Amino acid sequence: MNAPARYFVQGLLYAAFVAAVGYFSSAPAYQHLKPDQALVRLSFSHGAQRKQPCRERTPEELAKLAPNMRAPTVCPRERAAVTVELEMDGKLLYRIIAPPSGLAKDGASTVYRRLAVEAGRHDFRARLSDNARGEFNYSAQRTVEVATGRVLLIDFNAAQGGFVFR
Amino acid sequence: MLRMIQHAGRWFFHRADALFNQVFGDRLNPLYYLGAITYWLLWVVVATGLYLYIFFRTGIEEAYSSVEYLTVQQWWLGGVMRSVHRYASDALVLAMLLHLTRHFVFDNYRSFRWFSWITGVMLIWLTYASGINGYMLPWDKLAQFVVIATAEWFDWLPAFGGTLIRNFIAEGAVNDRLWSLLSFIHIGLPLALLAVLWIHTQRVAGAHTVPPWPIAIGTTVALIALALVRPVTSQGGPADLSAAITTIDLDWFYLPAYALLYRWSPAELWWLIGGGTLLFLAAPWLPPRRRSTAGFHVLVHPDNRIIPVREGEHLLEAALREGMPVPFECRNGGCGMCKGTLLYGSVDYGLYQDSALPAEERATGKLLLCCATPLTDLEIEYVPTGMPGNVPVRVFTARVAKMARLAHDVMQLTLKVQGDQVPSFYAGQYINIFLPDGEKRSFSFATAPHQRDHIELQIRLVPGGRFTTRVFNEMKEGDTLQFEGPLGSFFLREDSSKPIIFVAGATGFAPVKSMVEHAFYTGMKRRMYLYWGARRLHDLYLADLPRQWAREHDNFVFVPVLSEPAPEDRWGGRTGLVHQAILADFPDLSEHQIYACGSVAMVETAHPAFVAHGMSEHDCFSDAFKLAPQLRAKSAEMVRLGGAP
Ligand code: HEM
Ligand code: FES
Repeated sequence: MNAPARYFVQGLLYAAFVAAVGYFSSAPAYQHLKPDQALVRLSFSHGAQRKQPCRERTPEELAKLAPNMRAPTVCPRERAAVTVELEMDGKLLYRIIAPPSGLAKDGASTVYRRLAVEAGRHDFRARLSDNARGEFNYSAQRTVEVATGRVLLIDFNAAQGGFVFR
Repeated sequence: MLRMIQHAGRWFFHRADALFNQVFGDRLNPLYYLGAITYWLLWVVVATGLYLYIFFRTGIEEAYSSVEYLTVQQWWLGGVMRSVHRYASDALVLAMLLHLTRHFVFDNYRSFRWFSWITGVMLIWLTYASGINGYMLPWDKLAQFVVIATAEWFDWLPAFGGTLIRNFIAEGAVNDRLWSLLSFIHIGLPLALLAVLWIHTQRVAGAHTVPPWPIAIGTTVALIALALVRPVTSQGGPADLSAAITTIDLDWFYLPAYALLYRWSPAELWWLIGGGTLLFLAAPWLPPRRRSTAGFHVLVHPDNRIIPVREGEHLLEAALREGMPVPFECRNGGCGMCKGTLLYGSVDYGLYQDSALPAEERATGKLLLCCATPLTDLEIEYVPTGMPGNVPVRVFTARVAKMARLAHDVMQLTLKVQGDQVPSFYAGQYINIFLPDGEKRSFSFATAPHQRDHIELQIRLVPGGRFTTRVFNEMKEGDTLQFEGPLGSFFLREDSSKPIIFVAGATGFAPVKSMVEHAFYTGMKRRMYLYWGARRLHDLYLADLPRQWAREHDNFVFVPVLSEPAPEDRWGGRTGLVHQAILADFPDLSEHQIYACGSVAMVETAHPAFVAHGMSEHDCFSDAFKLAPQLRAKSAEMVRLGGAP
């Protein structure tokens, strides 16, 4: 190969290298959500009720304790698991039993789920149980129009009265 | 299976090398500099990153808008910097993967190379962590995708327990502090990357960490051109947590795992990446193992040094590791710079380009040091780029200042070097004296290096020897002679604390004298034992000197050993072979360093016996023994056996 040809081919090889770099740096496109879909994100962190209620200590029990430890009530720390069910248009979309966190099982239960759904108008029902008996003591029902590519966030906050749709 | 992959890979690289050699020339072939190119790209990334950092503002709105400012208003510099920053990071991944693949298919990742390999695996992690972290900063839609995917992925880990994602669940959950954290990490991770990279190449003898300038410039210019042709922009406007990411242009160099994350589950991805990492970490020790090349030794000219070769090590690496000035360039059998001559033994020539070593040259005994591995002990020669060793070898002229007979067959020569320039040397090294016809004879310095005004040699009469008979019969004070030096790797290693055993046979005492006097001079506190073996009492020509040392120094012990004492010697000391005396005193030699200098016969019998008694090969250059038959054939009369640290 003569010198000009070599420089030319060198240029070509450099160009091929950066072309590969430039191309794969942003292509091919990745489809995360189909064009007609929307996203439901169910996410919350909630400390369920204690498994056992607080109770008064009997006088005999109190007498056995050191004087500075004589608290009249005892509260077992372990919490119940949280059970959630989410229905869309009458069909169960998602169900989970989230155990409490922490070694002593006294922490909050955390739930996160991303659910791709068809965009449009949907009827959502959510139920949550946070007691040891497993009875659904919170529930909510909403009809929401979720446009394509939008996110419907379903949070839960007991202080605000239960499920929050955003 | 693995062998087949490696075989195919080698074939591929070999072809590509040949092609690139035609285009770039064999000295500037980028495929020979993949590691160095990766290194260079990292510097490009760092430099452009620093510029971006000046303008980057931490904050929900500011993050996006400051990057937009750079990209749009300041496109002519800031925009180019941003694009080059991104593209150089991508090119870095590509070059790194090629570099890794090359070392893998050429099987250059086992035995002592495990160190580079393992640190390399750490580099992969750090590179990806830095890159992925970088994608979070501009807070565009891609940043949103990366942040959420990272949180979703990491939440699987018990440490996070699913709570990480709560920080990115909705507008308002994110605050300005996040960018302070992210940009802090984006400085920290690359710093760690640089630190590990420094370690990565630390043990590679003569590593190229900068590519040749034409390659560095070519790559950089190509990246700038790409930046101008296809500037990097933010995607889809500022992040909006109430909008889902639908379609996104992904960087497939850094983010393929994030596409996989949504095909698989976080757990599966963790298993894949964790398992892959473990497999990589274990790779240097996994089959297929290849034939071991460990334990061979090479006598290298013109340094006249004997060096060990480690398992899987090419001759070039072994020589560079020993500090020899071997010329080289591509290290991959492309350029022919490292060509040497094989004088003795056989090698595996390795895979190289025919242009670098044509068959007819190979037939005349040439080999490429960067590709060849030993199959036996070897003797090779090369043309040094400079002078061998740390101390330059030079030719000196000296005058014989004094001649004294130390014994009937030992002459002490005192040399005054012309210009009073006694060369610097290490205690135990030697010089070659030139004979009129250009032949050389080696003699050890008997003086210690601090002795600056003269050199002492102790020369034994070899019946029929040309030089030594001349010394005894014709040489007189005032004569001049020429010598080259200093030479040899047999010298006192001061970086060990083990007690030392010196073994001297006959005039093997000379280098020992140099070493012991040096040790006293520097105040070395290690225990030293000198075993001096000879046939008769009068062969211990300077025995009073070590006796005096023993009286004056607590840490020095002198044990003379005679093999054939005559009745008139009235010898009451140790008798027998000198190495047997040592073994009787030291049944376990594992905690000692041994320096032996004596006849081939002495050293040949002593070595296996020492090894059998636990002498570590590290504490002694056993090569002298293996090569002894070779050396005997040559003119060498003394064999030196030196301790390594
Ligand atoms: C940031 C990324 C990296 C850079 C800048 C880099 C740079 C270098 C350089 C400059 C060398 C010495 C010369 C050469 O052989 O090219 C080297 C050697 C080496 N690297 Fe890397 N490297 C990187 C990543 C990796 C990775 C990911 C691996 C494998 C997992 C790896 C494995 C090796 C090995 C096995 C050697 C050879 C050591 C020897 O020959 O003794 N490197 N690297
Ligand atoms: S260094 Fe280029 S062929 Fe050996």
